[in-house]
Amino acid sequence: MLHNQHSFVIPENQGVIELVSSLRKNFSVRLLAETVNKRVFYDTFDWRLYKNGSVLEQHNEGSSRKIYWREGRQGKLKIQLGLSKVPYLASELPAGEFRQQLHSVISVRELTPRVRLKIKRQSLAVVDNNEKIVVRLYIDKYLYQPSKTRAARALGNRLTIVPVKGYADDYSRVEASILEMKLPPAQDNMMKLALVAKGVSAGEYSSKLNILLDPDMPAEQALKKILLRLLEIMKQNTAGSITGRDIEFMHHYRVSIRKTRSALKQVKGVLPQDISEKYNNFFSMLGKLTNPVRDLDVFLVQLENYQQDLGSAAQQALQPLCEHLMQSRAEAQKKFVEELKSAEYRENIKQWCNYLGSSEKSDTPAENADRAVYKLADELIWEIYQQALEQGNAITADSKAKELHELRKTFKKLRYLIEFFRSLYPTTMVREFTQALTGLQDNLGELNDLDVHAAIVRGFIKQCTDEKAVKACKKIIKSLKNQLHKTRSEFAACYADFASADNHNRFREMFIDYHASR
Amino acid sequence: MKIIAIYNIKGGVGKTATAVNLSYLASLDGANTLLWDLDPQGAASYYCRIKPKIKGGGKKLVEGKIDIDEVVKGTDYENLDLLPADFSYRNMDMFLQSTKQPLNRLNKLLGPLAEEYDYVFLDCPPSISAASESVFTAADILLVPTIPTTLSLRTYKQIMHFLKQQNTGHAKVLPFFVMVDGRKKMHRLIVQHPPSFMPTLLKSYIPYASEVERMGTHRAPVAIFAPGSKAAGRYQSLWNELRPQLW
Repeated sequence: MLHNQHSFVIPENQGVIELVSSLRKNFSVRLLAETVNKRVFYDTFDWRLYKNGSVLEQHNEGSSRKIYWREGRQGKLKIQLGLSKVPYLASELPAGEFRQQLHSVISVRELTPRVRLKIKRQSLAVVDNNEKIVVRLYIDKYLYQPSKTRAARALGNRLTIVPVKGYADDYSRVEASILEMKLPPAQDNMMKLALVAKGVSAGEYSSKLNILLDPDMPAEQALKKILLRLLEIMKQNTAGSITGRDIEFMHHYRVSIRKTRSALKQVKGVLPQDISEKYNNFFSMLGKLTNPVRDLDVFLVQLENYQQDLGSAAQQALQPLCEHLMQSRAEAQKKFVEELKSAEYRENIKQWCNYLGSSEKSDTPAENADRAVYKLADELIWEIYQQALEQGNAITADSKAKELHELRKTFKKLRYLIEFFRSLYPTTMVREFTQALTGLQDNLGELNDLDVHAAIVRGFIKQCTDEKAVKACKKIIKSLKNQLHKTRSEFAACYADFASADNHNRFREMFIDYHASR
Repeated sequence: MKIIAIYNIKGGVGKTATAVNLSYLASLDGANTLLWDLDPQGAASYYCRIKPKIKGGGKKLVEGKIDIDEVVKGTDYENLDLLPADFSYRNMDMFLQSTKQPLNRLNKLLGPLAEEYDYVFLDCPPSISAASESVFTAADILLVPTIPTTLSLRTYKQIMHFLKQQNTGHAKVLPFFVMVDGRKKMHRLIVQHPPSFMPTLLKSYIPYASEVERMGTHRAPVAIFAPGSKAAGRYQSLWNELRPQLW
């Protein structure tokens, strides 16, 4: 039943009747039914399938629904899913190779319909002497219909030859005859054409800031540009965060909030104080609402790994913990969604957007508002870098978790400042800096996650009456402690790598000398 | 992949018509469906306009020397493929006996197709033999078309007795009445008051209808050439009743 088909573009000036007549010169061709089918193309919000060079299509033909995963320019069939509905998440599929393959491409992201097409199909059949169908042909007229009330837009006609199993020779003869007609092969997949008609560019979403700043730009203007981009990312991820099925929406939403707060707090004296304070408080409140949801999301993803070290009996005993976590997550998500759906939230976001979009200058501009952004960036980054070194150098084997947590926050501030102002520095320098920072941040991030996860399990133990569950949870805490110990022991090496003399000289060159030499 | 065997020891009870019509209706739902014509008479192959011949012969196919996927043929219906009959299937018992595990042989042969097909319908020959036992082992559902007559009910009892004795396979046995002639009192009585030894009897039944006989003329399922007919509707009802049992 799996087959790859060969498609050709029917040029606008070539009539369908003419095409069928040419085929009839060599074959017995029967006209079959005319049908109207639908095709829905799925991808994740950030176009992971598209970026992977593949397409997931749902074909609705009469009462039949089929799902195909195709890859490459020619749309070669990768797999036909034995499903009638596209799953939201890879984890919804039964365990097996396909689930693994899909997960390796889309990870935890949700599949959503990205574009829908209507196809008017004239089916034809090449039959043999017994009137048996040996090759199928489809003449498809592709239409993009923006909505029920708006007119459909024609995207072109295609001829597709479909082999019938066991009749390969007939297929070859029909294919050769069509190749003689010099019809151009269909190379672009229809999703691309439909997206063009829809006015969407596939693959265009990025959660990265990618802000281009002019070094001499006034700091206020630059900061507004940064904050506006962060607001844009928040908005792009709001609907998905409310649905809550794909945890990455919430992650990107939350990271944008943290970056916004970091920009408001770190880049001081640029926006009027009342504005900074008002929105810092607003985003702080939002951030707090996202904390439990994200912590539980990360824990639930990790729980599978934690469970692997336990026996099957202990794994089963953890069921009450899973249920508790799911319920806690649902409650936290509910509170968060209530806020996002509130009129107050909408008003705040609207005002924030208006403020960032306005070019009006404040009557009493803040002290750094008119400074060239590069000067402020150099100062701020160097200052926080020094602070990070000071805190980092003070960490010893006996330092408490709180000190490492503070250090993690400082490094996050440093990372965010680099992201905000990266266009002011040479790309290679920024890349080297972030590479040096990555290992250390991963180490600190893992320490934090392990700490948070242990606290979640401890919190559950306190209120759990199921002895078996408590016993299994204690095993997890023991495993988390071991992991924490190991990760903690790796900190010194990670930090030493970052704080090396070589790196220090490079960073000095980047944040002190580079702009001075302009 | 679910395997549905249409089986009865008796001949002429509408096994092939059931197999062809139900497999077509399954394919119409969008399910990838394979119909295996196990009867050397090759009637199902004939209905599908496909020559009842296996290139290389039935023996090699059963022995696994031919890739089963290589001999499958596409029918005139998009999601329905056919594994044609071969006259050599008359020696199926002998072929099976020459393999290591005759009882599991059909199951093993169909194994590689599990990814490709949602349903496999087996149109079985009218007999009770080693081949039947291999069918019982492979099938998830044993669909038994039964004419509402005393002798046919007796045959059904024999099948059940045999299955109990052999204790092979896991198939759910689902009998249903066929060739029901409303003019005959016995038919009416049995359909209205089915015997207690048929607790899994399906409610849907197929009437005696000329459309079913005309399948040979049109070489197509009833729903193709007589879509509004009573017979087409009854096969659809039968499929609607059977489908949930396959989930």
